[in-house]
Amino acid sequence: MPFHLYFLRRLLFVIPTLFGITFFAFLIANAVPADPINANLPQSALNDPEIIAAFRQKWGLDKPPHEQYLTYLGNLLQGDLGTSIKTRKPVADDIGRFLPATFELATFGIIFGILMGVGFGTISAVWRNSLADYLVRGFALIGVSFPVFLLALIGLQVLYAQLGLVAGPGRLGVRVSEPPVVTGWMTIDSILAGQWTTLGDALSHLILPSLILGSYVSGMIARVTRSSLLEVLGMDYIRTARSKGLSERVVIRRHGLSNALIPVVTVIGLSYGNLLSGAVLTESIFAWPGIGRYMFRASTSQDFPAIMGVSILIAAIYIGVNFFVDILYYFLDPRIRLA
Amino acid sequence: MRRFGLWILVALLVVGALLSGITSLAQDEKVLVIGHAESTDSLDPARGYTQTSGFIFRAIYETLVTFPDADASSIEPMLAESWEVSDDGLTYTFKLREGAEFASGNPVTADDVVFSFNRLKNLQGSPAFLADNIASVEATDPQTVVVTLASPDPSFLSTLPNPAFQVTDSQVIKENGGTDAVDAATADTAEEFLNNNSVGSGPYQLEKWEPQVETVLVRNPNYQGDAPYFDRVIITNIPESATQKIALEAGDIDLALDLTADEIGGLEGNPDIQIVRGPANIIHFLLMNADPDVGGPMADPKVQLAVRYALDYDGYAALWGGVQPGSNLAVGIAGALGPDEAIKRDVEKAKQLLAEAGYPDGFEVTLDYPDFSFQGVNMNTNAQKIQADLAEVGITVTLNPGELQVALEEYRSGKEGFGYWFWGPDKLDPVDFLSFLPGGKVATERALWTPERAEQSLLDLIEQAKVETDQAARLDLYRQLQQYAQQTSTFAPFNQPDIQTALRADIQGYVWHPQWLLDVALLSRSE
Amino acid sequence: MTPVSDSRSARFNLGLRWLRRNVLVAVGAVVVAFWLVIAPLAPVIAPFNPLQQNVRERLQPPGEIHRFGTDELGRDMFSRVLYGARITIPAGIAVIVVGSSLGVIIGAVAGYVGGRWDEILMRIAELFMAFPTIILAMAITAALGPDIRNAILALVIVWWPTYARVTRGLVLEVKSKEYVEGARAVGAPGTYILFRTILPNCISTAIVVATLDIGSAILTFAGLSFLGLGPDPSSPEWGRMVSIGIDFFDQWWMWLYPGLAIASLVMAFNFIGDGLRDILDPRLRKR
Repeated sequence: MPFHLYFLRRLLFVIPTLFGITFFAFLIANAVPADPINANLPQSALNDPEIIAAFRQKWGLDKPPHEQYLTYLGNLLQGDLGTSIKTRKPVADDIGRFLPATFELATFGIIFGILMGVGFGTISAVWRNSLADYLVRGFALIGVSFPVFLLALIGLQVLYAQLGLVAGPGRLGVRVSEPPVVTGWMTIDSILAGQWTTLGDALSHLILPSLILGSYVSGMIARVTRSSLLEVLGMDYIRTARSKGLSERVVIRRHGLSNALIPVVTVIGLSYGNLLSGAVLTESIFAWPGIGRYMFRASTSQDFPAIMGVSILIAAIYIGVNFFVDILYYFLDPRIRLA
Repeated sequence: MRRFGLWILVALLVVGALLSGITSLAQDEKVLVIGHAESTDSLDPARGYTQTSGFIFRAIYETLVTFPDADASSIEPMLAESWEVSDDGLTYTFKLREGAEFASGNPVTADDVVFSFNRLKNLQGSPAFLADNIASVEATDPQTVVVTLASPDPSFLSTLPNPAFQVTDSQVIKENGGTDAVDAATADTAEEFLNNNSVGSGPYQLEKWEPQVETVLVRNPNYQGDAPYFDRVIITNIPESATQKIALEAGDIDLALDLTADEIGGLEGNPDIQIVRGPANIIHFLLMNADPDVGGPMADPKVQLAVRYALDYDGYAALWGGVQPGSNLAVGIAGALGPDEAIKRDVEKAKQLLAEAGYPDGFEVTLDYPDFSFQGVNMNTNAQKIQADLAEVGITVTLNPGELQVALEEYRSGKEGFGYWFWGPDKLDPVDFLSFLPGGKVATERALWTPERAEQSLLDLIEQAKVETDQAARLDLYRQLQQYAQQTSTFAPFNQPDIQTALRADIQGYVWHPQWLLDVALLSRSE
Repeated sequence: MTPVSDSRSARFNLGLRWLRRNVLVAVGAVVVAFWLVIAPLAPVIAPFNPLQQNVRERLQPPGEIHRFGTDELGRDMFSRVLYGARITIPAGIAVIVVGSSLGVIIGAVAGYVGGRWDEILMRIAELFMAFPTIILAMAITAALGPDIRNAILALVIVWWPTYARVTRGLVLEVKSKEYVEGARAVGAPGTYILFRTILPNCISTAIVVATLDIGSAILTFAGLSFLGLGPDPSSPEWGRMVSIGIDFFDQWWMWLYPGLAIASLVMAFNFIGDGLRDILDPRLRKR
């Protein structure tokens, strides 16, 4: 199948799902027994008939529900997610402000997760059924059984409070000057600004939460890497490579890993969703000013515009990542190209 | 692959650890960092009315008169250099100090005072009630302000140091949508501006307020008084007290305002940390709504009394230190009933009262409160103790912790049937107790204990107390009011915790203040 | 360094494999059984009432009277941890049982009926799967209000799609089997075929998936209540106890014991699930 056809076909799958998500978020926000005006406007605005009228007009509250949904979609397409009750700023702005922090954390987390997961998975597969294999697998099992918040607590207590090896909660020390915002990534922005101390401080803040997030997903990645590598290593062409006298290391690296990657890529895509879930807990313990903490505050303060905005966005990201994974497939898996 | 990952990890850890050590050195600016569980509702001087906004306002605005640095024992000049009170106690004439300037460079004039007071009154924000008794404010010349009261109020001068009466730059506020007109409540649109800019004459000005993240103050270049020591003050929001404690130990913050007594205990003996303790004036209390539609069984005065008998007062004091106040008037304010005069726990009596009220088997009720720690008192812990105390007399309590601002709105709009809140005095005078009596703010608006629901004898007593000018007679009237409230009231005050602040050992000049909590301009670092 | 080794280490490895498969499952089973016994017996075993406060004996380290110490209100941590099983285990099981039943039924209908219904039901399932579990559960509890029932409901809503997907795949597979064709040929009604021949074939797989899954359901539930979106603050729920313990860093017993209780239970389920997966690997891998 040529690439553009495959691409279009995948895209066609994505669009209805995206609509479904907006519809679903709309349902949740409207399932609330409260009056949408009470739920969406701060108390101080409730005395003002003008603000209320404007709000009704904007969100089509006088119209039947299906038209309300269409109005909502229309506003959404213009990038208008409403105004957060809690921060009193447009939800889209808030998300723009908090999302880079989560992305930075999640990216570092997934990097650690991949390094640990693929590394351990490979060890496990190569020395299959050895003591190392069992240790690694047992370790992975124990790792996924520990609640993220307990790991975070122990990590903070030991590495920060007792040993002072890493920085504590937050993204940056309070005394460290913030770099000018370009990407919203503390690490990249501080490199761009040439603020090396800031970079060091940012990394020192990133390590612990991203390690914990990484370990949260590494178990699954390790498991898939192991079984997929085992399958590949049993195949004929590997035996051929071995019989050619190539060293075991070359065989595994050149032939084994690259072919075992396909399911691993899938599971990494799937892990990303888990990672975002883990990020909510991690951010709340590490006072990380990201989207997870924002969502947590929104959900405890019944800030429905923010809840809807974040839910839609995160689901969209998740779908986007999986779409990207599907596209990657095209290049990794020759069967799709031939089909 | 594996080794590569390990190396990256090790390298990152090492680099991170090294650099985090270096970063704290490279600063030539004098920075003070305060760790605090932020409760700011607004930084608009006519809207913000929480403990956090109080000490931020203290740094950026000035009032006509003020208190001494450490207590409220006398009234001292600030923007006003002198004042006179008319014989009938209704007219106050203030002479403004020459040369005071706002951060914008505009001079502080009598018109600014008029604008600020009128805006406070007309905006109808949370602190507006403080200006209820003001009939008019006039500028008779650029340096003279005349305030006329509707009725004599012996506590008026001691109310003026309250941050609500801070003087703001009328010109700049007007340019940004502000107004002091009668319709200010709907016409004024300056809040957004004031949340991000300050227009005061105090030692600092607001650089930014990022809600739930941090508030940053920098020096006000036009401040006329002695320049404060710190160039920059960062109030960083750390809601979890345990995190404040570690951050303080690590030296990331200089002051931790919200540590619990337990955490303070853990810091004792640490040479890098100093601990300041003392009596404070925050009262933790239960509110029982007098409207049966809202309060249900809690609206019954007998049930309310039963709740007062049911609480294990000594237990709360064991948790947080401090004392059991005799009423909702903070111990330490003249005329307040002390712990020895307070109501004592009596479970049998409570049960008997419940039976008399028609609830021999108790009832179920939901307790609303903010999921919040204030100055080291964890409200969640207290709520669980309240639940256990009331369970002993047969009342089954379901806990409903809410996010602070959400819960505040419910509370302020009188929608809570049974709530748990804390109160810091608006006025350091027995008159503060009127807030908890019919006609007063908390009783009328929040507990719906309106004058219509009150006994005439009580209302008469309140009127007498309000106008009595002889101090001894006045205090006696307030004592009678408090004794009345011990028997009949919609409130159950149960604890007045001590204040405890932990700060780095090199910070000097810290004093706790009953009105504004903390004056950051007094702080310095020993070198 | 090669995986091909001499006979002694081969035997050693074989032994390890046996150990792993059986001992881990056995250990898991013992731990789960332990908690399953504790849950109903907690009132008998626990030395104290888990809600009984005594502020004069607060924050006591583990000792003879209070084996796991006491918390900030002087409640006995040991009793609280034991009672915690009465909340977490039923909650986890409820989520899995309700979620999987719902999922199996929906998946079976989708797979059996096929066509447009299949398309619609599976699209809906995909939709729910697009939301990360905690985010969706947070949105739902925000709408319904935080309490234990709503937390479970939120998790059920999050949980069913996985089962629907797996079941649908199995149904499609079973549908083409001879005995189903046979039943159809003799004129058995559709519901009969679905419930009597197809579903029983899917349920065993669903049970395996459920065992693998219950650990993560428990973790997510604990996470929700850690965030304050679960039961009442005073209830002896493990996640909630850990979150209260955050304020008491130095009093490690306040957060470590409930944390370990969660970990031990989840780990036990994971051990069993992992063993079952090994045994049933070929079948599960097909989906």
